[in-house]
Amino acid sequence: MHITTIGKYTALEALRTRVPATALLTLALLVCASLFVRELAVAEAARFQIAFYAAAARLCAVFLTSVYVLASISREFNDKGLEVVLALDVPRSHYICGKLAGFMLAAVLIAVLVSLPLWVLAPTAAALMWTASLVIELALVAALSLFCVVTFSQLLPAAGFVAAFYLLARSIDAMRLMSAHPLIGAEAPSQQVMNALIETLGYVLPALDRWTATAWLVDAVPAPAALGGIALQGAIYLALLTSAALFDFHRRGL
Amino acid sequence: MHAVPLAVPLLLALALALQVLWHSLQSPPVARADALPPAPSATTIRAASFGESIAAAQLMLLQLQAFDNQPGISIPFADLDYGRVMGWLNTALALDPRSGYPLMMASQLYGQVKDTTKQRLMCEFVHTRFIEAPDLRWRWLAHCAIMAKHRLQDQALALRYATDITLHAGAASSWARQMRIFILEDMGEIGSAKVLLGGLLATGEVTDPSELNFLTERLMAMESLEN
Repeated sequence: MHITTIGKYTALEALRTRVPATALLTLALLVCASLFVRELAVAEAARFQIAFYAAAARLCAVFLTSVYVLASISREFNDKGLEVVLALDVPRSHYICGKLAGFMLAAVLIAVLVSLPLWVLAPTAAALMWTASLVIELALVAALSLFCVVTFSQLLPAAGFVAAFYLLARSIDAMRLMSAHPLIGAEAPSQQVMNALIETLGYVLPALDRWTATAWLVDAVPAPAALGGIALQGAIYLALLTSAALFDFHRRGL
Repeated sequence: MHAVPLAVPLLLALALALQVLWHSLQSPPVARADALPPAPSATTIRAASFGESIAAAQLMLLQLQAFDNQPGISIPFADLDYGRVMGWLNTALALDPRSGYPLMMASQLYGQVKDTTKQRLMCEFVHTRFIEAPDLRWRWLAHCAIMAKHRLQDQALALRYATDITLHAGAASSWARQMRIFILEDMGEIGSAKVLLGGLLATGEVTDPSELNFLTERLMAMESLEN
């Protein structure tokens, strides 16, 4: 009951703080920019437009979701709204799960809105896969941002951690490839330590470069099983981030 | 500090274990030699990197390395499209002209394949870019001169590279500037080698006593060979 109520009001807050309007404005700007790119291309104009729009929209959606979650919780901390809610005898776990549910609803809204042009520009099956993958990615970013702001309390370190985590998760496969067989000094202890460190990071990070791929829209649609894999990995990681946020939130003195 | 309900750390441990299990079930990333795309232009990279052209050039070179040095590729360099490799190296050099890394990759990595056409292609690439900044890039052309002499068995090509180092790279080490003389000697052009060596000693360009002694001995040996 508490979870539903908190989730509902969090989603309502997203609607009233102009998150959909910001997403639509982003959409309009990116569509204009992609039309400009399309005009510049001398061949494969549609491919250029789709690729540019998809890559830019993905980054903007991640940015929008993350900043919204970080700002919302920071404001709640600063305005002492959290104390008011917990004074009503709301279990801490309900607060976190409710907030996360609300943020995930906002993430779904952002993902669907920014994907709209792709439903017109790209094949339907590809746009469907891409949108579904973006929904899962944004849900994960929302959970990550919630965990970070609960852990760090301050906006700046939380935003920095989210950005670093996201960039690392997008590039972890490339880093693993580069560190696995270096050109020189493969036997050097420093290289081995670095390789072990990167492999360990690979175990605890989701390989986001395999998600929401632009190639799905412009080359070939992957098998639906790929989306199943992303959904499963997303669910596991969502559980990991939520439990980490719950752990930190329970330890926190208010 | 508040007590954490037991379910929370249990859920955390379970989720972490599942994540590790999930990762171990995934196939490792594999690079394919034919996946190297055409190089983007320097202007594009400069704009995309918001002016951080040196960092962008370094990232480009690391990405290029990742294409040819991965597990599962048995003959990595030879499988690559060398036209595209040169495109990547050219762009990286255009972004960061003071870096020697692209020329090192050309002469010492991509030039090491057993295909002589590809070896020559890389040497010509190094030679072309050497002419633009000889004092900065002579060492890579010197490597190509040695490669031309010993691997390609093309003394004329080695002599052309060595001559260009002598003529254009005033800041090159003396061993590189003297290489032309010894290539001429190996080619049986004792007369020309003698003139060049004598000229080098006469100009006073060589000041190190041991080097002076060595070169004088070489000149005397050449003279005795001629007689």
